[in-house]
Amino acid sequence: MPVWFWIVPIASIAALGAARYFFRQMMRESEGTPTMAKIAAHVRSGALAYLKQQYKVVGIVLVSLTAVFCVLAYVLHMQNPWVPFAFLTGGLFSALAGFIGMRTATYASARTANAARDSLNHGLRVAFRSGAVMGLVVVGLGLLDIAVWFFVLTRFYSVDDSRDVVIVTTTMLTFGMGAAVQSLFARVGGGIFTKAADVGADLVGKIEAGIPEDDARNPATIADNVGDNVGDVAGMGADLYESYVGVILASAALGAAAYFHAGADVQLRAVIAPMVIGALGTLLSIVGVFLVRTNEGATSRQLLGSLARGVNGSAVLIAVASIGVLTLMEVPNLWGTWLALVVGLLTGITIGRAAEYFTSQAYGPTQRIGVSAKTGPATVIIAGLGEGMMSVAIPVLAIVTGTALAYFFGSGYAFTTDTMGAGLYGIGLAAVGMLSTLGITLATDAYGPIADNAGGNAEMSGLPPEVRERTDALDALGNTTAATGKGFAIGSAALTGIALLASYLEEVKIGIEHVLERGRDFVFPDGTLVPTDGANWLQDLSLMDMMTHFQVVLINPKVVLGMFTGAMLAFVFSGLTMKAVGRAAGMMVDEVRRQFREIPGIMAGTAEPDYARCVAISTRAAQREMMLPSILAIAAPVVMGMVFGVPGVLGLLAGGAVTGFSLSMFMANSGGAWDNAKKYIEEGHHGGKGSESHKAAVIGDTVGDPFKDTSGPSLNILVKLMSMEAIVVAGVTVAIHLL
Amino acid sequence: MTTHVYLSLIPEALVASMLDPADFGLYYAIGSAKRARGQAIFFSVNRDLLSSTDFELDDLDARCAPHVDGRPKMSVYLSIYRVLEKVPLDALTALHLATDDGRVLTLAPAPYVADGEDRTHLYQEFCPTTPRIVTQLDPAEFTTFITNTKQAIHVPRIVFAELTLGALKSDPDSTDVENLPYPNIGHLRDCLRQLAAGPDKPTKTVMRQMTQEVLFRTIRNGFFVGDATGIASFPMPSHDTLEREHLAWWRSAQSTFGH
Repeated sequence: MPVWFWIVPIASIAALGAARYFFRQMMRESEGTPTMAKIAAHVRSGALAYLKQQYKVVGIVLVSLTAVFCVLAYVLHMQNPWVPFAFLTGGLFSALAGFIGMRTATYASARTANAARDSLNHGLRVAFRSGAVMGLVVVGLGLLDIAVWFFVLTRFYSVDDSRDVVIVTTTMLTFGMGAAVQSLFARVGGGIFTKAADVGADLVGKIEAGIPEDDARNPATIADNVGDNVGDVAGMGADLYESYVGVILASAALGAAAYFHAGADVQLRAVIAPMVIGALGTLLSIVGVFLVRTNEGATSRQLLGSLARGVNGSAVLIAVASIGVLTLMEVPNLWGTWLALVVGLLTGITIGRAAEYFTSQAYGPTQRIGVSAKTGPATVIIAGLGEGMMSVAIPVLAIVTGTALAYFFGSGYAFTTDTMGAGLYGIGLAAVGMLSTLGITLATDAYGPIADNAGGNAEMSGLPPEVRERTDALDALGNTTAATGKGFAIGSAALTGIALLASYLEEVKIGIEHVLERGRDFVFPDGTLVPTDGANWLQDLSLMDMMTHFQVVLINPKVVLGMFTGAMLAFVFSGLTMKAVGRAAGMMVDEVRRQFREIPGIMAGTAEPDYARCVAISTRAAQREMMLPSILAIAAPVVMGMVFGVPGVLGLLAGGAVTGFSLSMFMANSGGAWDNAKKYIEEGHHGGKGSESHKAAVIGDTVGDPFKDTSGPSLNILVKLMSMEAIVVAGVTVAIHLL
Repeated sequence: MTTHVYLSLIPEALVASMLDPADFGLYYAIGSAKRARGQAIFFSVNRDLLSSTDFELDDLDARCAPHVDGRPKMSVYLSIYRVLEKVPLDALTALHLATDDGRVLTLAPAPYVADGEDRTHLYQEFCPTTPRIVTQLDPAEFTTFITNTKQAIHVPRIVFAELTLGALKSDPDSTDVENLPYPNIGHLRDCLRQLAAGPDKPTKTVMRQMTQEVLFRTIRNGFFVGDATGIASFPMPSHDTLEREHLAWWRSAQSTFGH
C-alpha cells in the first residue's frame, strides 16, 4: 500500500476527532433559561422522532435492495460479490452523518441564542463550530468509508495488477449508490417535511391568525423549526456526503481507467490522488474553522467576511499545499492535474457567487422582483420565474468552461479523443477540487439552520432586543451561505454526473466480462462479437471504442429516447415533490386550524398548542409522499436499461443530468430570490411591511418555498442516484435488454 | 369581578364587559374561538361620567354578571350608532389598540401639545366616519374645523390619528416613499400638491373610507379625540420604545397583513 494512502484514514480520524472536540465544546455551553431549554427540547424530540421514522423506511429499502443485489451477485452472477455490502455501508454512513449533524444542530440552537446574549462573536463561534461538526463528520465518515473499503478490497485484489485496481475502484463506486439512496430519502423526505410545516405555519399562523413568525402560539412553529433541521441539516449532510464520496470514487475509477496501460504504480498513484486531495482538504478545513471569528458589533458584511476568511483560507491553502503533495506523490501529468483541481475550486466559487448574486437582496435580480411586487402577485411570479431562468446561464457556462479546462489540463493540454480517459480524469479531479474544502463549506451550510433556529428560540423565549438583533444578524448571514452552499452542491453534482458517465462505461465492461465468465459470447449492438476468451481484447477498448460499439450517437433512437426520458424525469420528479408539499401543507393547515378551534386558550397564551401532533403530521406526510418520487428515481435506470440497453441508459443519464442541473439551478435561485425579495420589501422598500407589495411578495415567497427547499435540491440527488444506480446495475443492463 | 365599560370604534359601540382591557382586546379581536380575527380600537370609559339619559346603566351590573358556570361575561352591548358623541371627553381614560391576533397596547392620555411648525398632515379618521384626509391644520385646528356646527360638513366629535407622510410632507414629488405602505401613492401626491396649491381649501380627501386594517407602524404622534370644547391626546410610543418595552404587541402589529 503506498505510504500516501495513509493520510486518508489519518485525515478521517482527525476530522472525526475535531468534530468530537467541537461537539463537546458546544455541549459545555449553557442552554440558557428554562424556556429556551424547553423549546430546544421540543425541537430536538420532534427531529429525532422524524429521523427514527425515516430511518425505518430507508432501512427497509436498503435491506430490500441489498437482498436484490445479493441475488444478482451470488445467484445470477451478474455483479461483483462485494456490491451488496458496499451498497449497505454507503447507506449506513450517509444516515449516520445526517443523524450526527442533526443531533448537533438541535443541541446547538438554544446554546447559540444563549451565547448571543453574551456577544455576537460568541454566538457566531458556537453556531459555526456546531455547523463544523456536521461538515467534519461528513468528510470524516466519507474518508473513513473510502479508506476502509480500499484497504479491505486491496487485501483481496492486487494493487500490482492494473485489472484488479479497476475492479477495486469500480466496486467502491457502488457504495456511492447506497449513500445516494439514503440521501434521496433524506432530501426528499426532509424537503417535504420542512416545507409542509413552513407553508402550513405561514398560511394559518401568519396570514389567517395574524401571528408573527416563530410565535409559540402557532401549533406548527416547532414543526417548522424541526423542518429546518431535518431538511437543511440532515438532508443537506446526506446529499453532500454522497457527492463527496461520489466524486472521489468516480475520480479514482477514472484514474484507474485512464492510466490502465501506464503501469500499476502510476495507475495506483492516479487512483489514490483524489483520496489524498480529499484528505488534505479535510485537514486544511479544520484549520479554516479556527480562522472564523469576528468582533462585537460586526456588520453583516464583516460577518460574511469572517466566514469567507475560513472558507477562502482553506481553499487557498489547499491550492498551494496540493502542489507539494502532488509533486511528492509523483502523480502523472503533475501540473495538468493541479490545474484541473484549481479549475474545480474556481468553478465552485463562481457557481456559489452566481447563486448569491441572483438570490441576495443586495443585487439587481432580487431587487427587480421587489419592484414587480408593486403591481401584484402575478408579476412577482413572472419576475421570479424569469430571473430564475436567467440565473441558469452563469452556472451552466461555468460548468462548460470548467469542464473544458479540466479536460484540457487533465488530458495533458490537448482537446482530442486520444486522451479522453485522462481528460475525464481531469474533470473528476475538478469535482474533487470543488468539494475538497467541503469540511468547512458544509460547516457554513449547517450553520444557517442553527442560526435560524437560534433566532426562533430567542423570539419564542422573549430574549432582549439586542440578543435578537445578534441572532438576526447571524440568521441573515446563514441565508447567504445557504445559497452559496446549494451552488456547490449543484455544481458538484453536474461535474460528478459527467465523470460518472465514463465510470458507467467501465462498469459496463465488467458486466460484459461477467457474461463472458458465464461461458457466453457477447454481441455489441453494432454486431461486433466478443467471444468468451475476449476479455483482454475488451479491456483494451477505449471509451470511444465502447461508444462506437454500443452505437451511442445522436441519430440512434435509443439514445435520443433515453435523453427525452431523462429530461422528462427531472420535471416529473419536481412535479411530484411540489405536489407532495402542497398536499402535506394542506394537512398541516387543517390541523393548525383545528387546534385553534378546539384548544381554548392558545391565542391568549394560557394553553399550549399540541406541537407534537403537527410534527407527527409532517413526519407521516413526508414518509408517504417521498415514496413515489424515490421509487421513480430508483426504477428509471433499471427499466431504461432493460428496454433500451446501454445506449438508452447513457441517453437517460445525459438527459437527466443536463435537464436536472439546469432545472435545479432555476428552482433553487427562483425560490431564493422570491424569499429575499420579500425580505427586501420588509426592510422598507416599495411600501414595506403590510403594504400591497408585501402581500404580493409573500405569495411569491410561499410559491418559492418548495422550489428552493424541496424540488430544487432533490434534483441533485436524482441526477447522481440515476448515475450511481446505472453503474451498479450495469451488469443487469448488459445481460438483459429488450432492444 | 369588575364591570368595565368600553367605547369601541370598530364598530362604534358602547360595550360592558367583565374582562380587563387586555382580555377584552383579545376577545374582541379573535372571538371566543380562533375562527375570525380583526383589529380592535377601544377606549376605557369611566362609567360614572356617563349620562343615564343617554345610556341605560341602572341595571348594568345585573346584566353584566358572570355566567352560571362562573365564567365572566364577555360583552353586553349598551348602545350602537352615534355613541361617541354621547360619551364625554373626560370619561375616556385610556385607549387600547388590539392587533388582529389579540395583543393589546394601552395608550394613556397626555396633554395635547401643538406642533406649530408642521403644516402638512395626513389623518385617518376612525369615528364616526372613516375617511383619510390631508390637511394643513394641526390636530387641534382640525378638530375645531370638523366639529364646527356652522359648517355644512361637520361631526359632533371625532377620533383620528396622524399617519406618517415621510418625505412627502415636505415634497409631494419626493421619490423617497419606499417605506410608505399606502395604496395609490400617486393620488396621495396629487392631494398634497392640490393642498399646497390651494390655501383656501384646508382639507383634501385621499380615501373616502378605510379599506384595510390600520398599519400601526404608520401612526405618527398618536391618536386624538375632540370636539368643539377641546381635544384629548393619546400619544403613541416611539418605535424604539415599542421594540424594547412592548415587543409582543409590536411584532404582532408589524406582521399584520392589513386585511
